[in-house]
Amino acid sequence: MSRSALRNRPLLRTAYTQEMAMLNTPAKRRSVLAIVVLAALLPFVVTDDLLLVLTLGMIAAVGAIGLNLVTGYAGQVSLGHAFFIGLGAYTGAVLGGDPEGPVLGYGLPMWIWLPAAGVVAAVAGLLVGPLAVRLRGLYLAIVTLGLVFLGDHIFREAREITGGPGVGRRGPELTLFGIDFSQDGEVLTRGQLQFLLALVFLVVFAVLARNITRSGVGRAFGAVRDRDVAAAVIGVDLTRTKLLAFSMSSFFAGVSGALYYAVVGVFEPSAFSLLLSVQFLAMVLIGGVATISGSIMGALFIASLGRISGEIAHWLPFISDASGSSGLLSVFQLEAILYGLLIIGFLIFEPRGLFGIWLRVRNYWKGWPFSY
Amino acid sequence: MSEPTSLAQRVREHARRTPDRVCLREKNLGLWEEVTWDGYWSTAARVGHALVALGVRPGDRVAIHSENRREWLYTDVGTTAVRAATVGLYPTNPAPEVLHVLRDSGACVVVVEDQEQLDKTMEVIEQLPDLRHVVHLEHRGITGRYDDPRLMSWDAFLALGDEHAAAHPGAVDALTDAAEPGDLATLVYTSGTTGPPKGAMLTVANVEFVVHTIQQSESFVSPPAGPKDVVLSYLPLCHVAERVFTTWFNAGLGTQVCFAESIDTVQQNLREVQPTLLFAVPRIWEKIVAGVHVRMTGASRLKRATFGFWMKVAAGIGRELVQNEGRHTWRTRLKYAAGWLFVYRPLKERLGLAHVRYAASGAAPISPEVLVFFMGLGVPMHEVYGMTENSAVATANMTGRVKVGTVGEAQPGVEVRIADDGEVLTRHDGTFAGYWNNPEATARTIDPDGWLHTGDVGEWVDGTHLRITDRIKDIIITSGGKNISPSELENALKASPYVKEAIVVGDRRKYLTALVGIELDTVGSWAQQRRLAFTTYRDLTEKPEVRALVQQVVDEVNTAFAAVETIKRFTLLPKELDHDEGELTATQKVKRSVVAERFADQIEQMYAGSPQ
Repeated sequence: MSRSALRNRPLLRTAYTQEMAMLNTPAKRRSVLAIVVLAALLPFVVTDDLLLVLTLGMIAAVGAIGLNLVTGYAGQVSLGHAFFIGLGAYTGAVLGGDPEGPVLGYGLPMWIWLPAAGVVAAVAGLLVGPLAVRLRGLYLAIVTLGLVFLGDHIFREAREITGGPGVGRRGPELTLFGIDFSQDGEVLTRGQLQFLLALVFLVVFAVLARNITRSGVGRAFGAVRDRDVAAAVIGVDLTRTKLLAFSMSSFFAGVSGALYYAVVGVFEPSAFSLLLSVQFLAMVLIGGVATISGSIMGALFIASLGRISGEIAHWLPFISDASGSSGLLSVFQLEAILYGLLIIGFLIFEPRGLFGIWLRVRNYWKGWPFSY
Repeated sequence: MSEPTSLAQRVREHARRTPDRVCLREKNLGLWEEVTWDGYWSTAARVGHALVALGVRPGDRVAIHSENRREWLYTDVGTTAVRAATVGLYPTNPAPEVLHVLRDSGACVVVVEDQEQLDKTMEVIEQLPDLRHVVHLEHRGITGRYDDPRLMSWDAFLALGDEHAAAHPGAVDALTDAAEPGDLATLVYTSGTTGPPKGAMLTVANVEFVVHTIQQSESFVSPPAGPKDVVLSYLPLCHVAERVFTTWFNAGLGTQVCFAESIDTVQQNLREVQPTLLFAVPRIWEKIVAGVHVRMTGASRLKRATFGFWMKVAAGIGRELVQNEGRHTWRTRLKYAAGWLFVYRPLKERLGLAHVRYAASGAAPISPEVLVFFMGLGVPMHEVYGMTENSAVATANMTGRVKVGTVGEAQPGVEVRIADDGEVLTRHDGTFAGYWNNPEATARTIDPDGWLHTGDVGEWVDGTHLRITDRIKDIIITSGGKNISPSELENALKASPYVKEAIVVGDRRKYLTALVGIELDTVGSWAQQRRLAFTTYRDLTEKPEVRALVQQVVDEVNTAFAAVETIKRFTLLPKELDHDEGELTATQKVKRSVVAERFADQIEQMYAGSPQ
């Protein structure tokens, strides 16, 4: 390489790899580093109940990234995300669950059950993929919707595995490298441990997804999204690309589901309903379609929505903070209303989502003191 | 090995000492390709071999007709390596001027860039008996379409050099070592605002004088430029000023040269390269200022307010710097530090001036307002003065001793005198050897004592700094007998971002008038803001609102001058002046005689009837 004496000139490119780099400007390098460092310091200043919200948000973010791969990048609308999440959750719970418990469990370590949860979901995605080759748009959405109902039924009936509705089962054991993440450690509390685990988990999968999107596969996704016929003409294998999109997306959903319910503890089959799919779609739409950082922002935002509506309930007297009948609305109803309002609002006013808002803010400062 | 004493020897010396250090960069397909000293010299040597193989003897002339690019420097250094002389042609030169330069210089080889330049040569090649070979750099549109036996591609040319090098190893090295101070290094054709261009002969000794001058700290850049400095090369290399800043700085001091893609991408390339030394002609500096104003009008309210406030502060800083000869006081430093945070740092970064430690303006007079604008932004601006005939070395403002409005102090080893008639005379070792094939013109320019008659009228300011009033032949004497320097008025007008060109008329007339050319970018955006519809440049100049806008500028300028020196009437030029039509020289200087002739009707109209 060059032995050039040129520093502080980020725009002077001497190789295309500089242009394609994940963090191709010094500002990006600095800010990503700062965000990761700040995030790692966060558990030491924030209380544990808030930490749990963020931990679950970060784990959900991996699932949102998965949905964004198939829906945002490859343009294949999927309402079946809840099914893949559930598949991952139960695979993880079965493989990593307590062998002595009332339901099926093999007590395998985390480094087996976590990847396995992804693989099982990915295989299921591979089976759904061929449908997507024949269908697109609304029709695909309806087919994937059917998947959720199928899943719902199976999860309800397979009591051996899921414990059945109203009962539920425990998630897998959270032990990795000899650290038990489900109890307070010697130095860190349980909340802090889980937060850091989720942070590492998110960083690994976010980098993975970012690399997928800037590879040839990622560009093929974009080509298929923008016009599948045109993509086929320039040599993109449609079948292969759509299968890849669904299986990769499902892998992300699977691992995210397994880890999510390991942290939550006890869960029952009704969790994997259409509402969960809609929540993930909301994360993608509110965060920003076809962006990784947008998926993360969206997931964190949606995950904290329950908390936010709780805070709102404190200020508005006609909202009760339990599901009782003392007020006009309950917090849960408020939360559902907020989903709807946010999705409508974002689609109308900021279709690029939170990421779009960020882009505007960034461009405002990027051009300073000019506007263009 | 003795000290190197020619350009080729200097490049060879760099290649021996620091073969792997990057010295040239050129942008191709979005990437800056880097050339090391070793690559530079070895290619130049191949060019030298190829030239010898083509029968070029010491003293012969080799012409280059290309935009700034690596091959320009390879050819230049390769030519001087075999003791021949380089002749540069402006890429904008039309065929008749190409004919004049090639025929006058008697070049035996011409290196052309692409089909466009090749066509100009091919159009006139039958009238050039001395021209034996034409080397083209690009293939597009040439290979397979032209079958002239004199034609040869750059690759074939270099292959010929390799063949010759294999057969006669050391031939170029021997010629390089044999270089003598009296050898002709280059012929620089003056732009010729009057009459056809004349070829000024610069010798190896002249070039060496320049190199010695720039090596000293009290000449241009202080401390002197070095291998860490970065230069953007974008002005035509056949002009002596750009040759100094690109080739001679590079060979003499080891600065890194980055070639801009073209003159249109200069602003973008500046941003990428962020040079540390920047030389520009006034037109470029004015254009940067105008560009800032145009982009600011499109900015949001808050940004405009911030910008406006800090530019006022910058103007204050600039004024104080002017009073203090370019040195900072604690007050300016404080103001600057605050403004740096808000506007100056990001603005300089956008303009590509963030790392500039020495900026210079020369080759034409510049208005003080433009200089002060940049000084206020924290760009160390220096006006310098020189011309082809004295190898571009005469006077310069030194860091910390800047007097705005002057062209600075005499440089080390330079004698400057003002003759009785006000003409500036210079004398030093860089004075050229004469005009090629034109002893009468030479005799008119260099007197027997070795003083070079510059043709500029000047005066001393505070006994140390030189102020150039105008070209002798441009001085206007009104019918009232008053001597007026038009360039002062013209520059005051051109300081407005709306005015691109101003030509003051009034020789042997009752009063002064002006032909004004508007700046399409700024006036266009001004018109758009006022929802003033227009179609072409001409249409814009005919709008009464635009006339009123220029009238405002003229009125403002008039307040600063005595009554006899004010402009009573003006006319907007209906078209942009153009090199192709002979109204501008290749360096964008106005050819007054041509303009006066072409717009004679408009001028006469301004003198019809009495002024209001």
